[in-house]
Amino acid sequence: MMFRRHVIAVGMASLGTALLPAGLVSADERQDAASALIDRMIADLKDFLATDTGDVEARAAEIDRVLGTYFDMETITRFSAGQYWRVADTAQRTEYSGLFRDVLCGTIVRNFDQLDGLDYTAGASSAKGDKFVMVSGTFTDTKGVRPPVKVNWRVLTPEGSPPRVFDIEIENLSLLVTQKQENVAVIRKGRGQFTALIDAMRARLDAPAHSN
Amino acid sequence: MTVCLVPYCMQRRGSSTPAIAMALLVLAGCSSTPPAERSDSRDHYEAANRKVFAFNMGVDSYVLEPVASGYRNTVPDGGRAAVDNHLRWASMPSTAINSTLQGKYENAALATLNFLVNGLTLGFADLSEDDQEVHAEDFGQTLAAYDVPEGSYMMVPVLGPRTARSLTGDVVDFVMNPLQVFGTSNAADTLRTAQAPVGAVTFRANNFDSFNDVKYNSLDPYARTRSVYYQTRISLLEDRVAASAGSAVSEDEFDSLFEVSE
Repeated sequence: MMFRRHVIAVGMASLGTALLPAGLVSADERQDAASALIDRMIADLKDFLATDTGDVEARAAEIDRVLGTYFDMETITRFSAGQYWRVADTAQRTEYSGLFRDVLCGTIVRNFDQLDGLDYTAGASSAKGDKFVMVSGTFTDTKGVRPPVKVNWRVLTPEGSPPRVFDIEIENLSLLVTQKQENVAVIRKGRGQFTALIDAMRARLDAPAHSN
Repeated sequence: MTVCLVPYCMQRRGSSTPAIAMALLVLAGCSSTPPAERSDSRDHYEAANRKVFAFNMGVDSYVLEPVASGYRNTVPDGGRAAVDNHLRWASMPSTAINSTLQGKYENAALATLNFLVNGLTLGFADLSEDDQEVHAEDFGQTLAAYDVPEGSYMMVPVLGPRTARSLTGDVVDFVMNPLQVFGTSNAADTLRTAQAPVGAVTFRANNFDSFNDVKYNSLDPYARTRSVYYQTRISLLEDRVAASAGSAVSEDEFDSLFEVSE
């Protein structure tokens, strides 16, 4: 009797070890991996900022490298076109992907000076479903002039692949959702034609940028 | 880094009654945009709204942007912080009332305390040593708490983006603000009258680069402003701004990404 109870207890414990902690460890691992990715990216950017001379081309090259290394650009590009990605043909998708990356780089380069004098403090992370992990942090102005800015990094954590940043939320404002809603508006104004978005992006890139 | 682009009057009280009345007149006179021609299903008056937005951008170019630029370049950081403090202080009665109506009694108490303590300097200096942040609450948020539908999106002349619910909230906040009742001296009148325009200038100055990036460098400034407005408003309504690792964006937003592989 005692032996049977012991076997059942061991069996239950084994089952529990096999099932419950596995899920928890997996979620923890995803969170750790996502946090580590953000830490590496911030360290990388800090290294660049330490030697930054203000050269626009060098900045653009660095941003392009960071996007390629830490961001899931393929998924981001697909999401940014909303439901209209499905109606675009292969040539349009290819052209849009290139233009989108150029527009994104241009936006970041234009605002690059705002990164100067900011200190980053990592915060908590939490799993958002089984695909995303949200890593929080705060940018603080070392001179104390600008108020602290809360940032959330939405990291895609696919099984079997390294984590990649999918979206950045600044004070709860999603940059990717904003871009997607703007892109969809441009396409709808263009009577649902995907080319309307491509034309608008090309025009934006060709126009002289208003520097901040 | 701050990407807060929604005009000042959306976030703070002190909106002017003529602008609200003008908005209601404009909306009463315009027909809704057919669904097929809308770039967002929530934007029932998009055609009219885009015209008002163009007008607002004109006002910004000729008045707000140059004044805000001058303000940024001439007023020292300490002076700007004092003005920001005063405007935040002036919104405390409204926050206290609306927090109470929403059952957020701790926030109501904090707002009341902040108003009383900082009233010694009319809010220009922050004398409260409490680290707890007072979350701004307006009557639009109170209406949302009672499940009043948000209504259509509208671009209000001078004031900027609103929903029908938040515009109604502005009117109520304006009417029931105790600062409208107390203080009948010339100095108090001047202070009250100056709050809205000063608030608009300081908001524009505090978000100068982000605002300009939307205005001059986006594909569709109107659509981007609308997106920012809705996200900002949702985060205020869900009290998520201060939540760690929280997000104002619904997870549903990303579901479509994984429904179809291509």
